[in-house]
Amino acid sequence: MFTTLKLVFIAVVNTGLDLEVSFNHLLQGMGLPSSIAHLLWLPLPMLLVLTAALIGVLVTVWLERKISAAAQQRVGPEYAGALGILQPMADGLKLLVKEDIIPQKADSLLFTLGPILVLIPVILSWLIVPFGQNLLISNVGIGIFLWIALSSIQPIGLLMSGYASNNKYSLLGGLRAAAQSISYEIPLALAVLAVVMMSNSLSTVDIVNQQNTAGLFSWNIFRQPVGFLIFWICALAECERLPFDLPEAEEELVAGYQTEYAGMKFALFYLGSYINLILSSLLVSILYLGGWGFPIPIELITNSLGQSPNAPVIQILAATIGIIMTVFKTYFLVFLAILLRWTTPRVRIDQLLDLGWKFLLPIALVNLLFTAALKLAFPIAFGG
Amino acid sequence: MGTFFQKAADYTKDAISAGKYLLQGLAVTFDHMRRRPITVQYPYEKLIPSERYRGRIHYEFDKCIACEVCVRVCPINLPVVDWVMNKETKKKELRNYSIDFGVCIFCGNCVEYCPTNCLSMTEEYELAAFDRHNLNFDNVALGRLPTNVTTDPSVIALKELAYLPKGVMDPHELDKNSPRAGKLPSEVLVKAIDNNKASVEEKT
Amino acid sequence: MTISTSTELICFLILSSVIVSGALGVVLIENIVYSAFLLGGVFMSVAGLYLLLNASFVAAAQVLVYVGAVNVLILFAIMLVNKQEELKPIKGLKIRRFFSGCVCAGLLALLFRVDITTNWATPGPKAIGEIATERIGEHLFTDYLLPFELASVLLLMAMIGAIVLARRDVISIELESKDSIPQNIIKNSTDNVLLDQSSD
Repeated sequence: MFTTLKLVFIAVVNTGLDLEVSFNHLLQGMGLPSSIAHLLWLPLPMLLVLTAALIGVLVTVWLERKISAAAQQRVGPEYAGALGILQPMADGLKLLVKEDIIPQKADSLLFTLGPILVLIPVILSWLIVPFGQNLLISNVGIGIFLWIALSSIQPIGLLMSGYASNNKYSLLGGLRAAAQSISYEIPLALAVLAVVMMSNSLSTVDIVNQQNTAGLFSWNIFRQPVGFLIFWICALAECERLPFDLPEAEEELVAGYQTEYAGMKFALFYLGSYINLILSSLLVSILYLGGWGFPIPIELITNSLGQSPNAPVIQILAATIGIIMTVFKTYFLVFLAILLRWTTPRVRIDQLLDLGWKFLLPIALVNLLFTAALKLAFPIAFGG
Repeated sequence: MGTFFQKAADYTKDAISAGKYLLQGLAVTFDHMRRRPITVQYPYEKLIPSERYRGRIHYEFDKCIACEVCVRVCPINLPVVDWVMNKETKKKELRNYSIDFGVCIFCGNCVEYCPTNCLSMTEEYELAAFDRHNLNFDNVALGRLPTNVTTDPSVIALKELAYLPKGVMDPHELDKNSPRAGKLPSEVLVKAIDNNKASVEEKT
Repeated sequence: MTISTSTELICFLILSSVIVSGALGVVLIENIVYSAFLLGGVFMSVAGLYLLLNASFVAAAQVLVYVGAVNVLILFAIMLVNKQEELKPIKGLKIRRFFSGCVCAGLLALLFRVDITTNWATPGPKAIGEIATERIGEHLFTDYLLPFELASVLLLMAMIGAIVLARRDVISIELESKDSIPQNIIKNSTDNVLLDQSSD
């Protein structure tokens, strides 16, 4: 048993922490053909990421409740587990065993399909989220563009559930959600485009690598401060977080498109919104905060300690630090989102559209032009 | 052209000030996060109501003279005084007295005006019932004394804001003998007498 | 047959059957909302076909443009104008149907002819995979610059049209309302109403 573990360790490290290659090596060592090894490997990262996303949601829900409580000088969940850490589980369990109600006059097919269509693109987008050089499901060339494309499917699911509920509040909520989603996608895409222009690649791995040449100071937030703000505002709007939670504005629309939903279908919406929040935070940290990069470059530390950066132990350490850094940055942004939730009042629908079309869009265009000019003027600092 | 630049400058100024206000707001929220929660875990911890708390009304049947002042001063004429005239003694004979706490607004007028002080306000506020008719208290129910929070062994009694020292908001982990903010009437009286004495001595 | 080719074949069969049945559904289903949703499904499946052809950028663009923008706008329009209207019976519906059926059959015959006569076996240019994005950009700004710019002019025209339609104040109000607005009301709107006006 111990020798196998050691073998695995060596296999993992020798291939530069490319888990797929090492997994294949391991299975081929057991006498399986490479095609079957590949087939066995395929579901593993997906399962891993799905679990990671779900655990991330549990943590975020707990954080949201605890931080909200702290901001309001309450205690928050306390009795379910230590510090109420099991509260999200209890919530999930409750939703799981709750009766699944489909209103009689609702369109049951579309009613069921809606939440699924909302959730699937969000989970699919985790495909491109890197936690390290090789720690992502697939390094597709179109990377970040895939996320933008997938997130544009979501409004269809929202419209579908809004329409199928046969409820005026739901329909209004769905329409609002779709309007908000498509108007904030444009400045979002333009902000991403400026980053892509600097890194010459759509791939998330390349974007992060390009930021990690000089540690903290090469992060995109210093080169793209305006883009960072635009992206963050748009990401909040896409996640329907306050101050942009008009689609579910409870004072006006009961719960928007979720009004008629109960049980597991409601849980899908709930999950979707939180996975989307984590995903947006992850992408902000990847695009602007250097992804898995440590503020001081790892190579610099290893060189000063007189170690080779390719030594197995160092590599494992670097990968661990990378994952921790990504998660840390992400949860910092989640914290910021929660803080913003209790700071900013909800905007009106006309203010929302004004902000999107008359403020963010021109600013994003100017930012893009400015980045192009800077790229031509200073190719060293802004990606040749 | 000049107006365009003017407009653009104003717009930028507005945007920057909006950002500044947002940051101020975030700072306020963040500042609130380091304050301790003052939550009272209700069924396990309870606040001691202040002396002037206007809770459920207590009534002493034997003191009552059935004068019906309480009915007349009540904003909604709520107390029901059920009495008959005893022809022989030519006196009112009280048979029943009841107040419906589902309707009462706890203004305390009846307590104020009762000539024999048979009405008084207690510190009881847990009046929830499954049936609203259960809130209609008759003279027996009105005569019961409320359970005291401080003597209830299953409850941690916490001092209410009126009993806390000046500047303290959190009743948890407070020294038992810490003085309350301000003075009691008796203390004010003692101080006044002292002052009076001192001024008299000064004159002589 | 290896695993990958058989997977490809299965995916192709599923996607094409979804496209065909979805497209038929778009045309034949009476409920217009269902048609719109099915249209989204068809677009998605076409994106899937692009993926099978190793053109991931085109697939993502297809999803972004057709599903994310076009289909959402169609749905928006349908849901905002969701009037339950009794359609009047059209005169000579049978003849109309016959003629449109003829046109459709002719188109189908044309497509079949193209399908049969084209030599599909000629190997096209090799799939270039990841660098396709750059290649598309290059082509758009060199060989296909004119169509690209023309498309943008078309979009600009559409945008101006939308703005003109949305901003009623550009169009004169008098033309819209038949009965003219009494001019003295507009003139007096700035006057102080609370003042005693009995003197005038």
